[in-house]
Amino acid sequence: MASISLSKSEKSYIQTSLTSTPPIRGDGRSLLDYRPIALEIGVVPLANGSVRLNIGKSTHEGAGGTEVLAAVKLEVEDVVNGDGVDGGRVVCSVSCSPAAYPHLSSNALDDLSYDMTTVLNQTLAHPSLRPSNLGILPKKKSWGLHLDLIVLADSGNVFDALFMAARAALWDTKVPVTRVVEYQAKKGGAVRQDDMDVEQESGLDTRQVSRAVDFELPDYWDEGETLAGQDRWPVCVTLNIVSPIYYLDATLQEEASTPLRLLLALSFPKTEAPTLKASRLLGPGEVELSQIKALVQDGEKHAGELFAALEAKLREEDVRRNQKARDRFILR
Amino acid sequence: MSTFDRRRINGPEESYPPLFEDGHDVGDAYANWKVGEPRQRRSAGDVRPIFMKPGLINQANGSAYVETEKTKLVCAVYGPRQSRNTAYSERGRLNVEVKFTPFSCTKRRAPIRDAEDRSVAVQIHQAILPSVRLELLPKSTVDVFITIIENDGLESCYASGAVAASAALADAGIEMLGLVTSCSSSMVGKEIWLDPTEREISLAKGSLVLACMPALGIVTSVWQSGEVKPVEAIECMEACQERCADIHAIVSEALLANAKVI
Repeated sequence: MASISLSKSEKSYIQTSLTSTPPIRGDGRSLLDYRPIALEIGVVPLANGSVRLNIGKSTHEGAGGTEVLAAVKLEVEDVVNGDGVDGGRVVCSVSCSPAAYPHLSSNALDDLSYDMTTVLNQTLAHPSLRPSNLGILPKKKSWGLHLDLIVLADSGNVFDALFMAARAALWDTKVPVTRVVEYQAKKGGAVRQDDMDVEQESGLDTRQVSRAVDFELPDYWDEGETLAGQDRWPVCVTLNIVSPIYYLDATLQEEASTPLRLLLALSFPKTEAPTLKASRLLGPGEVELSQIKALVQDGEKHAGELFAALEAKLREEDVRRNQKARDRFILR
Repeated sequence: MSTFDRRRINGPEESYPPLFEDGHDVGDAYANWKVGEPRQRRSAGDVRPIFMKPGLINQANGSAYVETEKTKLVCAVYGPRQSRNTAYSERGRLNVEVKFTPFSCTKRRAPIRDAEDRSVAVQIHQAILPSVRLELLPKSTVDVFITIIENDGLESCYASGAVAASAALADAGIEMLGLVTSCSSSMVGKEIWLDPTEREISLAKGSLVLACMPALGIVTSVWQSGEVKPVEAIECMEACQERCADIHAIVSEALLANAKVI
């Protein structure tokens, strides 16, 4: 993977300190500690949902850390002739800024962004995660949700950052409200514009083919309604395996000296049991099935903690953006 | 269009794969299938029969052909040969490239390298990487070229591709810790169906591909997508690992038979 080159002695130094008792890490964290995570939603004014996320920004200097910017754009897509899928679709793409990987050639950078895109796309664009409110006109038009993530800086643990940013951006996404429009000819009369009918009245009659021809955007106080399935979007934990131990949230140096990583993306729906949305093994290291079993169980626990923390922060951000902004407006 | 290839005779700009009327496709055993019904044509734990032929490409150092019903692919290994770039590397480089033939899918695939090729290559690379002793090959590159002749689902390509690549590496005489075999599985309802076809994956809620070295009991790759409970994922892995041991017997037998002929 994308990692800085380290000398053999430095790698062995890091590995030995990780596996010693008690384990020692360069920045004084314990094995299962995350660096501080900062996030802000609604940073891109033209997007339907956006977030900027940072893992490990140092508190004193105000710089450093893994930084990811994610934004969601919705586009109306044609199901019949275009790329659209009935009921909407989700497309993810990740691009890595050359500033984050100065040592990589442009080809290697493309491959890296491509590999990250594959992991995210295979997970988030899966039919089991498709939000229910992306349809506009049945079998004619639907929303295409494009989630674009940019890695602005990488100081380790980029997959966790990407999945967290994706979840936050999708949480923040507002889908514009649409109303289906159909035209009806008056009995024995010519078609007139004012005979416009709203789908809600005849939509329950499933025997007839939907005659909806177009849609309109009704005036709505807010930007739209929230994307359905907010609680289903997964978070990812990367378990870095240096046998016999594993640790979380690796820095770039630690990543370079770790032979094997297990990526687990889990979703925690409110009413159901947690489910695994993706798992990947990365790297040339060795692991046995019995170890993987234990890792999956532990991963579920860590992902649950991360999920709860992210959820709390997102709710706080919602309050900041809506309620507090409103209060300030009234005071003015 | 930037992907236009001017050295080829390109077809019309827009074309569509033929759509057959309902009922025309007699082969679809799942036309009236509902969740909860048993698997058609084979039991849940069965894999499709595997045909394997190592060493059928003469000019390559090693090669293998693998066929499991509608998944057919061929793999050629060249090397170890000197790395083209001048930078010194202590360990060898393993380079995996995958190509789909234009006629491998129901919809024609343009012969230009597209997105899916690399994702398959990355998975196969991960599956065989821990098995190859690259530390013995400084300054060298091993090239693995895989051509997918017929495609029956990505999961199946990941699994068969890893098996073919490992067999071809063995055929080329490149030192490995053990043969890698791989098996795919999918969760359909509450059942685990091993080695699913593309049609069966479309019914599944999630799928998992496991690659391992059965001789050493080491897992080299886990790929999972869709919606699977953690407990189910572990059950899938166990079922796959058990089947990988059977596949290992087939591969080693085919390699042995090929070595005896020579």
